Amino acid sequence: MSEEFIIECENVKFSYPESPTFAVNNVSFAVKKGEFLSIIGHNGSGKSTLSRLFNGLLEPDDGKIKVLGMDLAEGRNALEVRKHVGIVFQNPDNQMVASIVEDDVAFGPENVGIEREEIGRRIDWALKAVGMEKYRNSTPTRLSGGQKQRIAVAGVLAVKPDVLILDESTAMLDPKGRTEVIEVVRRLNKEEGITVILITHFMEEALLADRTVVMNKGEIVLTGTPAEIFENGGLLETFNLSLPRISVISNALRDGGMSINNVLYPDELAQEILKNLSNRGICGGQSSPYAPFKLNSPHEWDIDIKDLTYTYSKKSPFATKALNGVNLHIDDGAFFGVIGHTGSGKSTLIQHLNALIKLPTAEKKYRKKKVKKGQPEPVISRISVGQFELSNKKCDFKALRASVGMVFQYPEYQLFAETVFKDVAFGLKNFNKNLSDDEIAQAVEDSIKIVGLDYYEIKDKSPFDLSGGQKRRVAIAGVLVTKPHILILDEPAAGLDPKGKNEIMELLHKIHREWCKTVIIVSHDMDEIADNCTQAAVISEGKVFACDAPAKIFSRADELKALGLDIPLTAKVSAKLAESGVIIDSDCTVEDFSRKVLEVFNGNGGEANA
Amino acid sequence: MLNDVAFGQYYPTQSFMHRLDPRIKILALISIIVLLFCASNFYSLALCAIVVIAAIASSRVPFKSVLRSVKAVMFILIFTAVLNLFFHKGSMLLVEWWIIKIYLEGVIFSAFFVLRLFFIVMASAILTLTTTPVSLTDGIESLLKPLTFIKFPVHELALIMSIALRFIPTLIDETNRIIAAQKARGADFESGNIFKRIKAIVPILIPLLISAFRRADELGDAMDARCYSGSKTRTKYKKLKFGVRDLVALIVIAALIAGVVLFNIYGEQICPEIYQYLRIR
Repeated sequence: MSEEFIIECENVKFSYPESPTFAVNNVSFAVKKGEFLSIIGHNGSGKSTLSRLFNGLLEPDDGKIKVLGMDLAEGRNALEVRKHVGIVFQNPDNQMVASIVEDDVAFGPENVGIEREEIGRRIDWALKAVGMEKYRNSTPTRLSGGQKQRIAVAGVLAVKPDVLILDESTAMLDPKGRTEVIEVVRRLNKEEGITVILITHFMEEALLADRTVVMNKGEIVLTGTPAEIFENGGLLETFNLSLPRISVISNALRDGGMSINNVLYPDELAQEILKNLSNRGICGGQSSPYAPFKLNSPHEWDIDIKDLTYTYSKKSPFATKALNGVNLHIDDGAFFGVIGHTGSGKSTLIQHLNALIKLPTAEKKYRKKKVKKGQPEPVISRISVGQFELSNKKCDFKALRASVGMVFQYPEYQLFAETVFKDVAFGLKNFNKNLSDDEIAQAVEDSIKIVGLDYYEIKDKSPFDLSGGQKRRVAIAGVLVTKPHILILDEPAAGLDPKGKNEIMELLHKIHREWCKTVIIVSHDMDEIADNCTQAAVISEGKVFACDAPAKIFSRADELKALGLDIPLTAKVSAKLAESGVIIDSDCTVEDFSRKVLEVFNGNGGEANA
Repeated sequence: MLNDVAFGQYYPTQSFMHRLDPRIKILALISIIVLLFCASNFYSLALCAIVVIAAIASSRVPFKSVLRSVKAVMFILIFTAVLNLFFHKGSMLLVEWWIIKIYLEGVIFSAFFVLRLFFIVMASAILTLTTTPVSLTDGIESLLKPLTFIKFPVHELALIMSIALRFIPTLIDETNRIIAAQKARGADFESGNIFKRIKAIVPILIPLLISAFRRADELGDAMDARCYSGSKTRTKYKKLKFGVRDLVALIVIAALIAGVVLFNIYGEQICPEIYQYLRIR
């Protein structure tokens, strides 16, 4: 074995039982000691399987894997190899064994048989390395996703591995959590010399690595530095991957006649654009202003929220205020985005909209309290959705729920019936007991078709036999089947690969055009909001921070950052350009931004018109 | 729906009782239960009561919270008391009406019985209020340690318990989410007869089971990846420490045992005239 490589594999093949194709097919490559490697690939490309092969969780059917010179094909080395190769998995909840942070971190070292005092030292070190030393005696369930995942990293670190594999460990986190985890991993790589293998769907994360490997259908198709990989834009798309936004913009600008070098960061892109402009003698300039999308008001199905306040576990020692005086108006016909990080109260907010959480005044037990003299009148929360008055006890909540469809996060986990047909029909039968079989069949067929699935092929299948993406579509069809007027989706694209994300967003636009007049999505992906929504609201600490067109919101970059929220890439570049006097007034979508930059470049922007 | 189920009853604060070694607390609870059943007169009972009340006082848990756990068994308490009142035979008849005969012995016995149960419930409540489920598990594991000699899988049992504890809040969250999702699809869990309600649970139960299996699968992988391979070469980080306050508690318990034994034997000599009203038969 050469000193340079820490993991070497040669012609490795692996297939899961009952699967005709190889999940990993003839893979040969080596991981260098101390490098930061990223592996990207669509869902099912074999990248997770590869990581499990690396630490002996799976055994290859054929080929050779050597870790630190130990041959993994011989099963007996697996246990030894696991001490050197640690994996952090996707779901932070499902990799913790103990209810207290330090006990969980201790689990690995205990398994390896390390002495008590040394375990104590390792817990200190590992928690410090992930910046969680304050939480040593906390309960993981009360931590945020990013914090939990950092604990999981600490748990793996405590065994003192040489290689740290992150198997889509950031997929379930919000941007803040994602940054936390990635920063920790980068630091471990730089300061502790730990070799890092980062498996991810987020192209922006893949860019941070020294080297990137692209997998497609079980094979390694590209290897190189991130810059080299993302140069091959067209090629990536054939591997079911999307380009990072920054490359899409660069390509669009290049097509428009600018000469843009390949860059990976927004600041660099701004530099490139400025260089082009100054070459043409343009310094400063302004694009045509963008016209915000306007809806005619008033509308039949507007949503109005007044002074909404909500406290979880009232009267217990754990009471937390989730919402604290929310005022919000959502126009009928909008494609509305609700932004906020985990715990901001956005999920609580949307659950009020179809009375899954009822307003206190709508509870059966509610009696008006007498106000003592000298005390202010208590603030009463009110919500109206179309003609439904949710603060009223007599509101027809069943009819409301049929009109306001709600798709939860990871909706595929709520499927239960033996066939797709029965699952989709479930909601319809609940809401309307008098439908004939033909009417039900017709409605189910329609809703399965609108989500882009083949009705006849799929209707009698078990929902559990479908692929991940299909399951999600079936689950959405199960909500659409009542033809709701308003559709609310909580993180509809969570956990999907870039292509799957695009497909789901396209589907939502189709639904918005043909099926539900108002679509509300909850998301923490700013680019997703910028690309899709006509209006958006930022929720922070139980309050509405801003409600406006996305571009208007994202122009307040500094304030958003202070709230721990990110801004879309286009807004970042725009802000940088504005510093040099180039005002790009776009709606923050990639297309509009590129068009407006070219406008300035070609000298026919707003300034030229003026 | 499940929001009200506060998991465990642990009351987070700092106190003498909270810091006590869980093993001592478990042993103390067992002794108090045994002693309350052995107590043959009100002197012994009062002694136990004083210790239980002292424990409550030193736990800094509001008395209300302790009483709340008694509320749960209130019905059984009253029911058995009334039964005892009516059916306990004796020599001193107090009331006779139709077929109901109440004897003084019955009154004394019911009162004794109610107080005995009351303090048992209070004592158990103090254990669960001041001990986190985790340290309770640690305590049980440590107390069961001797059983490893007869090949009883103590470590595995403890691990199963601690994983179960760890996942209860997660699964409660998950259940709430599934309930909300099915409610959004018009499912109705609150009306209809018993059969309808049982049928209504299916859309919750199946996704929950599937998710539990998925989680178990992933957890298994994660444990494997973290080098879990059974208990043979395993070390343990947490060691329960026996401190001064544990010694104090142990002395109190020893004194209590001695006190109850003495009162049981010599109780009659304290005040022989009224002893017949103070003992139970």
